[in-house]
Amino acid sequence: MKNLSPKTITVGLVVLALLLIFPMVVTQIFPLQIMILVFMYAMLGVAWNIMGGYAGMFSFGQAAFFGIGAYTSSFLLMTFHVNPWIGLIAGGVVAALVAAAIGYPCSNLRGHYFAIASIAFAEIVRVHFNNWTLMNAAEGISLPMLDESFVNFMFHTSKVPYYYIMLAFLILALIVCYFVATSKMGYYFRAIKESHDVAEVLGVNVVRYRLVAIMISAFLSAMAGTFYAQYVLYIDPESVMLLAISVQIVLLSMLGGAGSVMGPVIGAAVLIPIAEVTRVWLGHRGTGVDMLIYGFLITIISVYQPQGVWGLLSRIGNRIK
Amino acid sequence: MKAKSWITICLSMSLLLMFSAPVLAQGVIKIGGVYPLSGNIASTGLDCKRGVDLAVDIINGKYGKDLDLPMAKTGGLPNLGGAKLEVVYADTKGEPKNGMSETERLITQEKVVAIIGAYQSSVTKTASQATERLKVPYVCSDSSSPTLTERNFKYFFRVSPHDAIFARDWFQFLKDVEKKTGKKIATVAILYENTEFGSNVGKYARKYAEEFGYKVVADISYAANATDVTSEVGNLIKSKPDVLMHASYITDAILFTKTFKEMGFAPKGILTMAGYIEPGYLPAVKADGSNIIVRSTFALDLGKKKPLVTKVSQLFKKKYGIDMSENAARSFMAPFVLADAFNRAKSTNSEAVVKALLETNIPGSQVIYPWKGIKFDPQSHQNIYAQGGLVQVQNQQYVTVWPFASAAKDVVWPFPGWKGRK
Repeated sequence: MKNLSPKTITVGLVVLALLLIFPMVVTQIFPLQIMILVFMYAMLGVAWNIMGGYAGMFSFGQAAFFGIGAYTSSFLLMTFHVNPWIGLIAGGVVAALVAAAIGYPCSNLRGHYFAIASIAFAEIVRVHFNNWTLMNAAEGISLPMLDESFVNFMFHTSKVPYYYIMLAFLILALIVCYFVATSKMGYYFRAIKESHDVAEVLGVNVVRYRLVAIMISAFLSAMAGTFYAQYVLYIDPESVMLLAISVQIVLLSMLGGAGSVMGPVIGAAVLIPIAEVTRVWLGHRGTGVDMLIYGFLITIISVYQPQGVWGLLSRIGNRIK
Repeated sequence: MKAKSWITICLSMSLLLMFSAPVLAQGVIKIGGVYPLSGNIASTGLDCKRGVDLAVDIINGKYGKDLDLPMAKTGGLPNLGGAKLEVVYADTKGEPKNGMSETERLITQEKVVAIIGAYQSSVTKTASQATERLKVPYVCSDSSSPTLTERNFKYFFRVSPHDAIFARDWFQFLKDVEKKTGKKIATVAILYENTEFGSNVGKYARKYAEEFGYKVVADISYAANATDVTSEVGNLIKSKPDVLMHASYITDAILFTKTFKEMGFAPKGILTMAGYIEPGYLPAVKADGSNIIVRSTFALDLGKKKPLVTKVSQLFKKKYGIDMSENAARSFMAPFVLADAFNRAKSTNSEAVVKALLETNIPGSQVIYPWKGIKFDPQSHQNIYAQGGLVQVQNQQYVTVWPFASAAKDVVWPFPGWKGRK
């Protein structure tokens, strides 16, 4: 961790310690659920960040990878009784392969065109699953209820194991992102983001590194997908492959601060609780006020903090130094 | 004492609190209502909520004693010291993950003792998994996917009919019409949108066609957001069916109706579901909707043979200023089923309530649909008396035409074609 200051490490460790004892202090289900969702979306944001924030490929199709992960492990579990942990890896591999297959022909698309292609790709995947009878088509997959255990990746009486598993996944994603960002590859990614042509002239194999970024991102997103399936125990194309999920991922990454390791985590930590809490407080009145407040806060942050919340935090941090 | 033991003590205390039996606070029984109250089908969710709110008012005795509905005469639950019912609502936004998390929140934090809702079958699926895990009864009267009661859950009960029953009704109706008119019907075409709802209807329509002895001459699925359906209608015309059976949402219902007329597709009967009875359908197609037959569990004209329906729908209109819709009417019944079960169980304990639910036997006279009553199958927990009905568009109104016993008007059969319409 050569680039991290002792102060950053201390803050990181304190936050981690707080997160570790959180479920022991707060035993109510609802706060735990919010935290689990925060971790899950943070992981999806971190995965997006590797391709969007660092390598400059604005993907609006992350839901496809998320969904492929969820579907692969659930299908294997339902049909062949494959352990979900193996399904988790299988989902990641399938998603990465699909990402490579679609990423290669798209490797010359830049900027908006890449974004458009990613939307089209995700929609094709969704429509396909919606009609694929082997995958139960639109009916979706209800996961068989297994005995509660870590090996089965299923817990019925408590959310706490889900909490720690998702936290571990997020930390894994952050470590991957940190190493990508600080390695030579990270510099290549940023060079590609700044300018395709310049990077190519400087000898960066643009096609290859773009593929690497997409595949890492797809693998991590698929892991989150398997987690979702094991957590909710029911998936259908509407709930794991919707464009709205892709947009949410981009939104929270941009809001938190794209192109920094912690940005998406901050974004998720701000956005998800706002969405959940406003829904619980105001949603049941059926007036849509929760959505208004949610939209209003997003607008405020984007107008006053285009760098994202992370930009604001680091500026404050610098001033304190 | 060491920190570890403190943590253990705190943990076990909170666990104790979590799992201790829910206490009746000042004679109020809280149940949870999980509905899509915001998002793109919020209007439907709010419609369901209106039905539930009216039901709770009636149970709590707000509208006096002249209604023949469970608890209406006593006001509150007599066996529980006159306890009143209260619904704590939660918004799902129509997402399955929220169905799960809101159900869990309502049970563990709001301490509700039973759940009703959630309209969309996919949300009901995850919400009922949560109640199954937390061992809390769930009475559903507004989700229609047949798969919900195929899981044989212990705590899940469904009052309303499901899509397989509706599909069966279509064929039962054809048999009855044959008997009535003395003319044979031989072939049907099945047309359905390709999400869970439509594909399930298609599946069951094929099954019942075989059982009832009709030949399926066309089996066509399409995407509900299609913008052009001329090729689908072309195929329908080519297959020359006696009767068309169509499962759709609203926008595709409108599109198909217009295309049928343009291309002159006029079988002997058009039997439909869902989209054709949404409040926006008739204003969009006007006279072109005439004589189309739609499945429905409820219609205002049921009041002609069942005064209770008129009384309830008048209360509804007085309270909200609009007519009682099918959605509101479907959701209306669940609180009564629960109140009746609490009262007989003399408790809100889950096991006692499940036992009482299994012994439920509400007579047809206390139900606002044309059913024999409410009684649950011991295995699937589906209401064995639940059946649909069919309404037909006549003079820009939905009129009950089947079962013939509760019909308000005679069915127009065969379909008179498209000529002479504006």
